[in-house]
Amino acid sequence: MNDFLMFLQDVIPSLLKGTVITLEIAGVSLLLGVVVGLPVGLGRVYGPTWLKRVLGIYTTFFQGTPLLIQLFFVYYGLPAAGITFDRFTAAFLTLGLNSGAYQAEYLRGALQSVSEGQMTAARAIGMSKWQAIRAIILPQALRLVLPAWSNEAISMLKYTAVVYLIAVPDLMGQAKILSSKYFAPIQIYLIVAVFYLVLVGITYFVLRAVEKRAGIPGLTYSPEHGGA
Amino acid sequence: MTNSEAAKTQPIVRLEDIYKAFGVTEVLKGVSLSLMPQEVVVLVGPSGTGKSTLLRCVNLLSRPDKGRIWLEELEITAPGVNEDKVRQRVGMVFQEFNLFTHLTALENVMIGMTKVLKMDKRAAHAKALEELERVGLANRADHYPAQLSGGQKQRVAIARALGMDPHVMLFDEPTSALDPELTGEVLAVMQKLAFEGMTMMVVSHEMGFAREVADRVVFMEGGYIVEAGPPEQMFDHPQVDRTRVSQ
Ligand SMILES: Nc1ncnc2c1ncn2[C@@H]1O[C@H](COP(=O)(O)OP(=O)(O)O)[C@@H](O)[C@H]1O
Ligand SMILES: [Mg+2]
Repeated sequence: MNDFLMFLQDVIPSLLKGTVITLEIAGVSLLLGVVVGLPVGLGRVYGPTWLKRVLGIYTTFFQGTPLLIQLFFVYYGLPAAGITFDRFTAAFLTLGLNSGAYQAEYLRGALQSVSEGQMTAARAIGMSKWQAIRAIILPQALRLVLPAWSNEAISMLKYTAVVYLIAVPDLMGQAKILSSKYFAPIQIYLIVAVFYLVLVGITYFVLRAVEKRAGIPGLTYSPEHGGA
Repeated sequence: MTNSEAAKTQPIVRLEDIYKAFGVTEVLKGVSLSLMPQEVVVLVGPSGTGKSTLLRCVNLLSRPDKGRIWLEELEITAPGVNEDKVRQRVGMVFQEFNLFTHLTALENVMIGMTKVLKMDKRAAHAKALEELERVGLANRADHYPAQLSGGQKQRVAIARALGMDPHVMLFDEPTSALDPELTGEVLAVMQKLAFEGMTMMVVSHEMGFAREVADRVVFMEGGYIVEAGPPEQMFDHPQVDRTRVSQ
């Protein structure tokens, strides 16, 4: 038992360093995913036909191919075309664009699930289409998309693990280094699994709290009373 | 303009020979109709006749294929007319209420004032409360639509339209989605509006309301206006057979 505690003391500093990097990659990628996914989702629903097509190609590509291939393409493939990224930029870009595709599709579904009558009523009081989208449709769609977005955030925490394959020293990358240093892969990977579990757990509870705060009766949950 | 002599004799809404088709379905086949200030016109007729389409033409939610529409002095079907500006002057109430799901009753009434009319928050808040008061729902200001009964939702929808100070109100079967015991409260609000002098165009099957409140009843069928006149004449001495049956 004492041996194990000593062992933990040895590996935990490295794993914490890896955790910081994992969180950084997940955070930046999710944010990039929002920045990309929001306009793409809107464009997919409200844009002109040609734009819908172009954006459809983007989402299909990122949803239809393995993440690892996307990462290798960005990190090893693009330099052949003269575009070179450092490891972190490649990780942010790949995961961010991948997440953006998923987020766009979730948002598209949410936008389309807001009933036609909401737009009609908004136009009827003199809002422009864009005003109606901003003030009426989007606030509803964003609340509706929150559960899917929470899942995306949790998936992202785990997907970041692929970046160790381009030698980014994230949690997974540290695990790889430590397991060969101590010849104890099972123990290391179990500890790392617990790390991921804790990260996922915290994220889950925080986002559930956000969902609850943003909730509106009749939109995100059924009201306790009233209604016709 | 509204207070001038001209406004007294000028129709609030004038529809001239309106045609509208959806694909091969001809829905409106040359409809002409005028609403004078403070007039209440009730449109009746079988479903699928184009009543909703006609109403939607008045605020350009639907664009006529042919024909012209005036809103007071402005020809709204003329090229280059700002649709959003037109709609600010025309209130509309829908069968399905269409309250903004994510906003409270008060916010539903406020949002047009702040976003469209660019009123400041405090002024809009005060005015929205007044409008809710007018429909008897000031005590429900903080309720979300899902926490209101159907009749209350429709009254909030009326307050929302009134908040824009419309020159005319359009009602498209405002009580058809309601349980029978809830129609009374909505009709009462509409009657009060009419009494206060609001110009109104109402599609409704409520014959009691038409008889009591309408200045004119317009009977539509198959894309035409087949008969129009004061309610007593329409209901007690109809010229067209179909009007008799519809009672
Ligand atoms: N947006 C639309 N697209 C295609 N057809 C429509 C549309 N709106 C109405 N129609 C058709 O036009 C006809 C008249 O509809 P409507 O104006 O709603 O009649 P009413 O209100 O008298 O019942 C119906 O046959 C309906 O199916
Ligand atoms: Mg109709």
